[in-house]
Amino acid sequence: MESRLLRVDLTTGKMRSEVIPHSVFERWIGGSGINNWIMWEHFLTHDINCDPRGPDNIFVFGVGPLAGTGAGSGIKGRITFKSPCYNMFGDSAGGGKFPYMLRFTAFEYIAITGKSPKPVYLHICNDEVSLVDASHLWGRDTLETHTMLREELGTYPSHAHTLSISQAGENQVGIASVVSDALRIHARCGGGAVMGSKNLKAIAVQGNGGLKIQMPEEMLAWSDDFRQKIDENEAVYGFKRRGTLGAVEMYQHIGSHFWRNNQGNMFRGGEITSDNWVKKYHKYSEVCSSDCFIACDAKYKIDGTESEAAKKYIGETFRRPEYLTTGSAAGALDVRDWSEVAHWGKITNDYGIDNQDLSCAISFLMELKQRDLISDSDVAELFDREQSLRWGNMDDIEFCVESIVFQKNLFGKIFGDGPYLGAIRYSELKGQNFMKYATYGKGGASFTEEMRPFPTWMNNMAVASRGADHLKGIGLIEKFQRKDLSKIYFDGRTEAADLSVPTLKGASTALIENQVALLNSYGVCLFHWMLDPAGYTPQDYYGKAYAAATGIDRTPDELMLDGARICNLEKAFNSRIGMRREHDTVCERWMWEPTDEGMYPGSVAAEMFNPVLDEYYEWRGWDKDSGLQTRKSLEDVGLGDVADVLENEGSLA
Amino acid sequence: MITVHANFHSHFKELASTGEASFQIETPTVEALAESICEAYGPKMEAMLIDPDTHELNERGTMFVDAKGMRISMGDQLSDGDTITFLVGIAGG
Ligand code: SF4
Repeated sequence: MESRLLRVDLTTGKMRSEVIPHSVFERWIGGSGINNWIMWEHFLTHDINCDPRGPDNIFVFGVGPLAGTGAGSGIKGRITFKSPCYNMFGDSAGGGKFPYMLRFTAFEYIAITGKSPKPVYLHICNDEVSLVDASHLWGRDTLETHTMLREELGTYPSHAHTLSISQAGENQVGIASVVSDALRIHARCGGGAVMGSKNLKAIAVQGNGGLKIQMPEEMLAWSDDFRQKIDENEAVYGFKRRGTLGAVEMYQHIGSHFWRNNQGNMFRGGEITSDNWVKKYHKYSEVCSSDCFIACDAKYKIDGTESEAAKKYIGETFRRPEYLTTGSAAGALDVRDWSEVAHWGKITNDYGIDNQDLSCAISFLMELKQRDLISDSDVAELFDREQSLRWGNMDDIEFCVESIVFQKNLFGKIFGDGPYLGAIRYSELKGQNFMKYATYGKGGASFTEEMRPFPTWMNNMAVASRGADHLKGIGLIEKFQRKDLSKIYFDGRTEAADLSVPTLKGASTALIENQVALLNSYGVCLFHWMLDPAGYTPQDYYGKAYAAATGIDRTPDELMLDGARICNLEKAFNSRIGMRREHDTVCERWMWEPTDEGMYPGSVAAEMFNPVLDEYYEWRGWDKDSGLQTRKSLEDVGLGDVADVLENEGSLA
Repeated sequence: MITVHANFHSHFKELASTGEASFQIETPTVEALAESICEAYGPKMEAMLIDPDTHELNERGTMFVDAKGMRISMGDQLSDGDTITFLVGIAGG
């Protein structure tokens, strides 16, 4: 396995191509693993405490070795950087055809540093690379940018696929995202602000080169088997039909939504509590990437007959909302009309901004208003105008979004880094402590689901390397009460699936983090695995596909160690910038305020939080008091060199 | 003979063409309920409900819970008037 990395220094305009040797794949698998290593090495020679919006930050894009091979497991590219909104490790996955097209050029990884003196986009056309003036694109949203680049670059050697930012990224809004082909968003952690700070408007790729698969016969056999397994799984047909919106009814049943800033956990109001709208109104299906046997994506087009509110959006078309788009709108903000929920998904995508951070920030403020903790004049001070901040008022919500994207007013400036820093800043401004109304874990915005009854989820939120996060740990053993999975991974024990005890919850976090790190490094979508986590195990089943693609044949145990190595490097990054056990925590609301509806009333994180966190550190081999890695824990996963760095800087236990 | 109520959501609702149904079963077990449901709604429902390899309830992308939100298994006992809810198990997005 050999791959190429394109290094771009935007300050000087110099670009160089490097070979990523086989040994790097052997150590870091690919995708997010290799991205992490590129960033780690960068910050051995640059100040890791640098301003994430400064030229010393690095922006890495990478795509893993299974992507685009015909494996059928979806394609996810990954961006990696120091997060400007959370000021820690940051990364984010995204689908679309950009990552797959990058593999058809000469490169699979791009590392961008410095700052361009003027707005540019990076154009990669097979093995030719150039920085092109982007002044005509500056000020455009992601849809306009993508459309213009497509027209400008023509169709040879292929259509252009793009990664771009909107005005939010240009304005270096901390929670600005990066959007692939104007459709699929790398939402988390503020990669858009990093691109904006570098005056990098977009990356456009065109290619018609091929992919090299080390063992094509084996790859084809694996792919056939996978296709058959997927086709035999009836649940896949339901998933194709609804995507993650299948979760709406389940969450409504057990009480797992995030309603009005998580004051409750059930949606309110008619049709929004089911997935009927989606079935009725989604217009046509498509696959988000070119290599997926599931195809859960679909589009809607609003014709105005769906509801009264829909009349505002006649002709609007975009991707069907996913669960978290719905969770943030129908849940966090209590928007009760499906067309408005869909519109929320579209504007947050076009403006390239993370709708989880955004909804948590807006709903935080709405709750302050609901509780009369702030007055109309306080609101006017924030927005330079009257603003009702009524729950579910889409016009108000849209103005909040624009306030942040365009940095229009005080609200935009205070909350542009998400709810945690926003709540701190606003508390300081008003001389009052509003933190009990902010929802976050480890400084990162909540993902808009109820998590208090689920100790593994709470642990995931506290320890995720990029702040509160549902895509690093994924508490699926417990949330779906999968005793079978618990037995497989924990010597026949079932406690990991039992919501009532803390046992094996920290262990589950560590285990699933390692598995997810593998999937992210292969460059595949997580949903295939989630539909059958016992069948499509990352370290075993997917491991065979990885071997076919790369020629790197690993035992499942070795692959799990690889996953642990990748997670440990993310942890080491955060240790270097001073993060310790006290940072591995969640907000007051989750910790102390009991749920009062749904199937698990009376749940608070505090009940099991510390034993679960202790167990997590134990399973990782980290020091329980400081939360830091020990030399042994790092050497056990082959990271003695990382231990040396941490020791030199006083960040080793 | 006991009566057990079933609530079907999402894909289950589509396969059953209804959101709710009641079943009278001789043996008060989840297994008997599952058999009745498969009989009533055919092979696609069976594929969704039963794991063909283990003959246990299918765990892949599904979630079957009792009134307290606890996942049920094939061997569990049921009582007259119980309600079991059939959900799809997916998260994220
Ligand atoms: S399962 Fe859905 S999100 Fe994943 S790659 Fe396929 S279409 Fe995209």
